[in-house]
Amino acid sequence: MVEFLRIHRVEIATLTLEHVWLVAASMGIAVLIGVPAGILLTRKPRLREPVIGGANIIETIPSLALFGFLLPAPWLGARADRIAITALALYALLPIVRNTYVGITGVDPGVREAARGMGLTSRQMLWQVELPLSMSVILAGIRTATVLSIGIATIAAAIGAGGLGEFIFRGLAMVNDSLILAGAIPAAILALAADLGLGWLEARLRPPRT
Amino acid sequence: MGEPAIAFRGVTYRAQGRVLLGPLDLEVRPWETLVLLGRSGSGKTTALKLINRLLEESEGAVLVNGRPTREWDVITLRRHIGYVIQETGLFPHYSVERNVGLIPRLLGKPEPEIRERVDSMLRLVDLDPQEFRRRYPHQLSGGQRQRVGVARALAGDPEILLMDEPFGALDPLSRAEVQRQFLEVQKRVRKTTVLVTHDVGEALLLANRIALLEGGKLLGIYSLPEFLESSDKTVAAYRAAWSGNLQFPGDDCHGGIP
Repeated sequence: MVEFLRIHRVEIATLTLEHVWLVAASMGIAVLIGVPAGILLTRKPRLREPVIGGANIIETIPSLALFGFLLPAPWLGARADRIAITALALYALLPIVRNTYVGITGVDPGVREAARGMGLTSRQMLWQVELPLSMSVILAGIRTATVLSIGIATIAAAIGAGGLGEFIFRGLAMVNDSLILAGAIPAAILALAADLGLGWLEARLRPPRT
Repeated sequence: MGEPAIAFRGVTYRAQGRVLLGPLDLEVRPWETLVLLGRSGSGKTTALKLINRLLEESEGAVLVNGRPTREWDVITLRRHIGYVIQETGLFPHYSVERNVGLIPRLLGKPEPEIRERVDSMLRLVDLDPQEFRRRYPHQLSGGQRQRVGVARALAGDPEILLMDEPFGALDPLSRAEVQRQFLEVQKRVRKTTVLVTHDVGEALLLANRIALLEGGKLLGIYSLPEFLESSDKTVAAYRAAWSGNLQFPGDDCHGGIP
């Protein structure tokens, strides 16, 4: 095992970085789309069913199939990492949109009423009351989505997008457990680290209860 | 007498086709404390929320300083009116200082002025600024939170103060203390105050006049002596409930619990 690590250490590091890049880029996109979408749903409740429903449907598509569907897409299909990042971002949308919506609508009605009664504008309400008070719930969604993405990103190797899945697919093809573990263990460590780190942040941002 | 500070003119409020309040005609005089007294569902909170347009009347008009609230810019209207609710609605993620300084800050006042204002408001409600400025709402007792709620509502120097069962969530001792303290505040900064309660004792302690609501209708407006002497059945029932509360076991109950 030690020998294996010594031989493959550069490759493990490279593929781990690729993996982190795929997840980070997709999460960045998912947050930029998902959080505003979640906020929009709190303003236009009629959109809630179709948007959450749509995100739910995306979640049911098997990941390998979703990668496949995106292959013929113009621009996206030209590079495997673009496809992988798009697919991962799509998967991450549901937990982020849903938690943003749930977090904001879950803000104490008394606090909300007092804020409205004192003359906060809708924008001030969002920035000063709703987002700070729902940040921990939104982060919980981002945390779920990140851990999920780290797992799914291993499959992106199937379309040549790189990442730790390379080891796993190679190990499967060669029936080599060490190779499979060389992909699986760093992926698991990444997932655990993301879970712990974001969990810590989530706890710190949780508003105090009165 | 001059123009009323607040006036309800033929106001009806309907929700899902049902009339919840009205038709209501009522005037609040400048600088008085008018208590809206009634049981749950009597429409008193609805009436209160029509004043700062958290609700909008279905018919008629609510006038603030002689001008229909619908004609006001809603944000300006609300900043012109202090608002205190039962659980105070303090922002849990803001310190006492930021909570109390919220409105002056929204109004764009300079920082030194805000700081001074926060301190003077805290002193007004008998809280030592040094001790309380940096605390968070969860580090305060119920009574202290309520006082911070009052300080926050007054910080923008509104002409009108609306209070929705402000002391309802407090234990009896804290409640009596905060009520007394509020009377002191009122003597020092006179505001036109509309206070909603179902507690007759509170109404008699704090009100200049009492407006009695029942089933969305106004039964009458009474000065304190009128309320204490009225032969109206409902007023008498409220009085009996109140004086009943003051009786001790062994007292001669008037047809009360055996």
